[in-house]
Amino acid sequence: METGFVAAFWFLTISALVVPLMMGAGLLLRPRSKSNIGDKGIAYECGEQPVGSAWVKFNIRFYVVAIVFIVFDVEMAAIFPPATIFRDAVLGQAPGLSAGLVFWEIFLFVGLLVAGLIYCWVRGDLEWVKGVTGASPKK
Amino acid sequence: MNSANFANSLQGWVGIGPIWVWALVSALAVIFLLALPFGGFATYVERKIAADMQDRVGPNRVGPYGILQFIADAVKMLGKEDFIPLGCDKFLYNLAPVLVVMGACAAFAALPLSKLLMGADLNIGIFFLLSSTTLIAPGILLGSWSTANKWSLLGGLRAAAQIVSYEIPVALSILPVILISGTLQIGRMVELQGWSWAAEGANSGHFWNAFHNPFTFVAMILLFIGGLAETNRIPFDLPESESELVSGFNTEFSGMRFGLYALAEFADVFVMCAMVVALYLGGWQLPFINLENLWVTLPSGLIAIIQLSMFLGKTFFLVFVVMWLRWTLPRLRVDQLMGLCWKGLVPLALINIVGTAAWMWIFKGQSIAQLVYKMAAR
Amino acid sequence: MSNGLKLVLFLAEILTLGSAVLVALHPNVLYASVALLFAFLGVAVMFVYAGADFIAGAQVIVYVGGVTILILFAIMLTQWLYKLNLREIPGKILLPILVVGVAVVPALYKVIRELTAFIEKAPPTDLEKFSSLPKTSVIGQALLTNYVLPFEAITILLLGALVGAVWLARPTK
Repeated sequence: METGFVAAFWFLTISALVVPLMMGAGLLLRPRSKSNIGDKGIAYECGEQPVGSAWVKFNIRFYVVAIVFIVFDVEMAAIFPPATIFRDAVLGQAPGLSAGLVFWEIFLFVGLLVAGLIYCWVRGDLEWVKGVTGASPKK
Repeated sequence: MNSANFANSLQGWVGIGPIWVWALVSALAVIFLLALPFGGFATYVERKIAADMQDRVGPNRVGPYGILQFIADAVKMLGKEDFIPLGCDKFLYNLAPVLVVMGACAAFAALPLSKLLMGADLNIGIFFLLSSTTLIAPGILLGSWSTANKWSLLGGLRAAAQIVSYEIPVALSILPVILISGTLQIGRMVELQGWSWAAEGANSGHFWNAFHNPFTFVAMILLFIGGLAETNRIPFDLPESESELVSGFNTEFSGMRFGLYALAEFADVFVMCAMVVALYLGGWQLPFINLENLWVTLPSGLIAIIQLSMFLGKTFFLVFVVMWLRWTLPRLRVDQLMGLCWKGLVPLALINIVGTAAWMWIFKGQSIAQLVYKMAAR
Repeated sequence: MSNGLKLVLFLAEILTLGSAVLVALHPNVLYASVALLFAFLGVAVMFVYAGADFIAGAQVIVYVGGVTILILFAIMLTQWLYKLNLREIPGKILLPILVVGVAVVPALYKVIRELTAFIEKAPPTDLEKFSSLPKTSVIGQALLTNYVLPFEAITILLLGALVGAVWLARPTK
C-alpha cells in the first residue's frame, strides 16, 4: 500500500475528530448552565413565533438539478481516464494509440454533451424562472 | 513513481520511526498548524479588509492592529452555552458540522505545499481533492434540515443545489490540466509547470498552465468562479443571504458550532484557491526560475521554505481577491445563478477542453512559452 | 499487508456492513439514507485496498456527492416519507420481499463461489507493486483500444439520460 493512502487515511480521521475535539474543549471551558432552555430554543424567525411547519415544500427543480448533476458526474468519471492518456499519445509515447484517435474520441464525447446541452437550452429547460402559468420565460 | 509525501520527507530527515507515525504527524501538522489557524485568522483578515474598503478601522483592540482578535473570538465561542434548539433532530444536528469540517480539512491532504511537503501525493490526487469536498454538500443539507427552521432549510437546499451545479464547471475546468499533464497526481502537475530553458521532451517544464495556451487561461478563470460558488462566497452567497434567509443554513447553529461552520467555509476557500494555484498558477514554482537548475545547489530545507512561501503567497493573494469581490459585486438572483452555470460556465468549459486538446495535438504539447523560446532560438 | 492496514480494512468492512444493515432496517428513511452515505464511504475504502483508487474516487464523487444528495432531495420533497415509519408497512408487502430475498440467494452464492475461485487462481501477490502504478491511464488506454464501443455507448446512454431527466421535469401542458 502506498504511503499516500496511509497519510490520506490519517487526514480523514483527524479532520473527522476536529469537531468532537472542539466541542469537548468547549465543554471543559464553559460554565455549567442549569437554566431551562425556554424561548431560546424556539426557531428564529426574526423574533416572531414560528408559523406552520418548518419543513416547507420546495421546488422540484432542485431535484432536477441533482439528476442532471449525476449524469454530468458520470460523464466526467468516464472522460478523466482517456484524458490522462492524451499527453502520452501526443508525444508518441502511448503504444498503439495515435493522438488523432484520442482527440476525436474526446471531441465526440464533448460533442454529444454539447448536443444534450443545446437541446435543453433550445427547449427552455435551462430557464429557472418558468412562470407559474406556463408562460414564456422572462427575458 | 516518485511520490513526495510529507511523511516520506519527515522520515528521511529524522531517519527513524515507522512511516505511519510520520503520516499521522504530517496530518496533525497540516490540519492544526495550517487549516484551522488559517480558518480562524481569515475571519480577522476578512473583517480588516472589509473595514479598509469601507474606510473604517475594523478590529483594533486585541493585540497590535487587533491581530489577536480571532483568538479572542475562539475563546468566546468555546465559552458559549451549547444548546440544541427545540424540535431539532439531535443526531443530524450533531453530525452536520462534522461532515462539513471533515470535507474541508481532509482536502488539505492533497495540497502541494512544496515539492517535499505534501500531505498525500496520491496518484489520483485531484480526484481525492474533489471527493473529499463533496462531503460538504450533504453535511450542509442535513444540518439545515435537522434544525426546525424554514429559512435554514431553504438555505441548505440552495446551498446543495448550487454546490452540485457548480461542481460540473469546476471538474470540466480541471480537464484541460489533465490533458496537458497526462496525470491526476497533483505533485506531477506542479512539477511540469516549472521553467526550464531550452528543455525538450516529455519531462520539460512548460511554464504555468494558465499561460500554456489561451484556452487554459479562460479555464483558470472558470475554475476560480466555480470555486467561489462552491464555497458559497459573495456574489454566490444565496444560501446565507442575510436579507432574506436570516443567516441561511447556519441560522440555528450557535456558539462553537457556528464558529466551526465559519472555519470550514474559510478552509474551503483556501482549498479552492490552492487548487487554482496548484493547477494553473504553478503551485510552488517560482516564475522564470527553476530552483533545482541553479548554478549553486541550495539546501533542501531552504528550497522547501522558498517553495512553501511561494505557494502560500499565491494562495493568499487569491483569498484576498475572494474577499475583495465580496465588497465589489452584488449578490446574484437564483435564476441568474443557474443561468450563469448552465449557459455560461459549462459551454465555455467544454470549449476549453476541445480547444486545449486541439492545441496539444497541433503544437505537439508545447506551451506558448516553449514556442516563443524555440522561435527566438532559431 | 501489515496489521495496521488489516485493522483499517476491518474497520471499513464493519462500517460498510453496519451501515448497510441500518439502511435495510432503520424505520426512518432519512436516517437510512444517511447510513447509506457511510456505506458508500466504506466501499470506497475497500476499492482503495483492491488497488482501484480511481474507482474509489469516482465512487465518492458520484455516490456521496450525487446520489446521496438526490435521495435526500427526494425524501425532503415528499414530506410524508420523512414521518413515515417503515415498521408500519402492511404485511402483504412482506411476502414479495421474502420471495425476492430467497430468490437472490443462489445467484449471490454463485457469484461468491466464482469470485473466490478466480482469486485463488490468480492471487494478487504483487498488490503492493500494482497499487503504486498510475491505473487511471491504464483504464484510459483500455477505454480507447479494447473497449471503444462500450465507451461510446456510455456516452449515448448518458445523453439519453440527460434528455430524459429534463423531459420528466418539464411541466405538463
